[in-house]
Amino acid sequence: MSRQFLGYHRPDGTVGIRNNVLVLPVQRQVNPLAKMISEAVPGTRVFISSGELGRPRNDRLVLYRTLVGLGLNPNTASILVVGTRKEAGYDELKAEKIINALSASGKRVEVLMLSDEGGFYNSLGQGIRLARDMVWEASQLTREPAGLKHLRLGVKCGMSDSTSAICGNPTVGKVFDRLIEAGGRAVFSETTEVIGAEHVLVRRAKNDEVGQKLLSAVEETERKAKETGEDIRATNPIPENIAGGLSTLEEKSLGAIVKSGTSLIEDVIQYAEQMPRSGLYFMDAWMSSLSLPTGYAASGAQLFMYQMGGQGIPGREFPAPAVSSGIVIPIMYLTGNSNTYDRARDIIDFSSGPVLEDLETLDEAADRLLDWILKVASGAKTRAETIRFYDPVELYLQGPSL
Amino acid sequence: MFSRKEFVVMNENDNVGIVKQPVDKGQKLGPIGENSAEYVTLREDIPFGFKFALKDIKEGDEIIKFNEAIGLATVAIAKGELVHVHNIEGLRGRGDLDKGV
Repeated sequence: MSRQFLGYHRPDGTVGIRNNVLVLPVQRQVNPLAKMISEAVPGTRVFISSGELGRPRNDRLVLYRTLVGLGLNPNTASILVVGTRKEAGYDELKAEKIINALSASGKRVEVLMLSDEGGFYNSLGQGIRLARDMVWEASQLTREPAGLKHLRLGVKCGMSDSTSAICGNPTVGKVFDRLIEAGGRAVFSETTEVIGAEHVLVRRAKNDEVGQKLLSAVEETERKAKETGEDIRATNPIPENIAGGLSTLEEKSLGAIVKSGTSLIEDVIQYAEQMPRSGLYFMDAWMSSLSLPTGYAASGAQLFMYQMGGQGIPGREFPAPAVSSGIVIPIMYLTGNSNTYDRARDIIDFSSGPVLEDLETLDEAADRLLDWILKVASGAKTRAETIRFYDPVELYLQGPSL
Repeated sequence: MFSRKEFVVMNENDNVGIVKQPVDKGQKLGPIGENSAEYVTLREDIPFGFKFALKDIKEGDEIIKFNEAIGLATVAIAKGELVHVHNIEGLRGRGDLDKGV
């Protein structure tokens, strides 16, 4: 039987694995208002950015793609756009433009403009009224079956150690292969962690143009790294990688790319850019777990998979680096290190550690993981979803700040 | 990749193996290849997940893992020694060497 999950079918044909109402402040001045509305109304999520003011055009476009992408994400049922005035702000970020882009999805879009409502206090009341109705309405939708082709996954590896390349990343790679073969979409990233492995990855580019984009992205990142005048090993591999047995960036990179599987790379996309069709995408972006889940969510991924090593983290406790930076998408922690799993059962959903111990094959682990993903896609909570915490999101902005 | 009880080797062309558990100095590991009869006696304790040399590696030689160069030996590394940041260096992102960008 072909694999399925139960999800929320949206008017634009996408299928959500969660059913959030998104409160979306499009100017920094309304962040407090949006946050207060969201805190008052369970079932909502809010995106608080570090703001648009003094950012160059490229960074404003990142912000635009993020705002619109979070609204278009399959996990978003409806959007409450909050602003000062529709015509206020930079051209790229005018509320009107964002509202139009969101409305094209056929989802419910409500608009709350401070100046139309008569100021902060009236807006707060009206915003809560709207958000409550939106949550109620969204909850009327029930889950229906959907095939694998409706699934869109993003992956990042973190706190990598030797187990990441042996079983953690390869297990994810095999799941990605199955997803792509079934017509789904998947994204991986972390350009710094392609340095030293680009010659391997580029063989999987769909065509020369995609291959060139990939090589240029890596070259540009290495140029910036060298501009610091430092050995990159002082920054990446991070201290936890080195303490976990990884010795050079090349070693880390060659192990990291395995998480993307073996499919052809359909295209190289920018941070927060949509995955336009079926296939595997490389996002040219920064590796931070406070940044990448948001970028993936904006690209349309419904689930963020965080594949951990962890051997280099001392002690009995193992804190989660991020729990909510996907905004509208859950974070699912995985590991290939049984020590890490034993230290962090409260945050880690899945372990491929048995592969290292020769207790199961990679294919068996991939089957088990895909089944678990489909269970989460059908509504089972990830461990990270069981704590209420707002990560400070860092969009991948490259400046200069002006 | 092939796997023994105590270690794995990612590719048959590699000159390093990775231990799957902490292994003490003096322990004899192997055989070190699918069709090999060769063993390695560890010259020092190797922590879980760390690399050890499968053969003698000269200063300046490539360290091969995944059938790819992951760096160069900064000193001669004897078969059975720990291979890590103290005796190998990366070649990429070296802003300390290449200020010309």
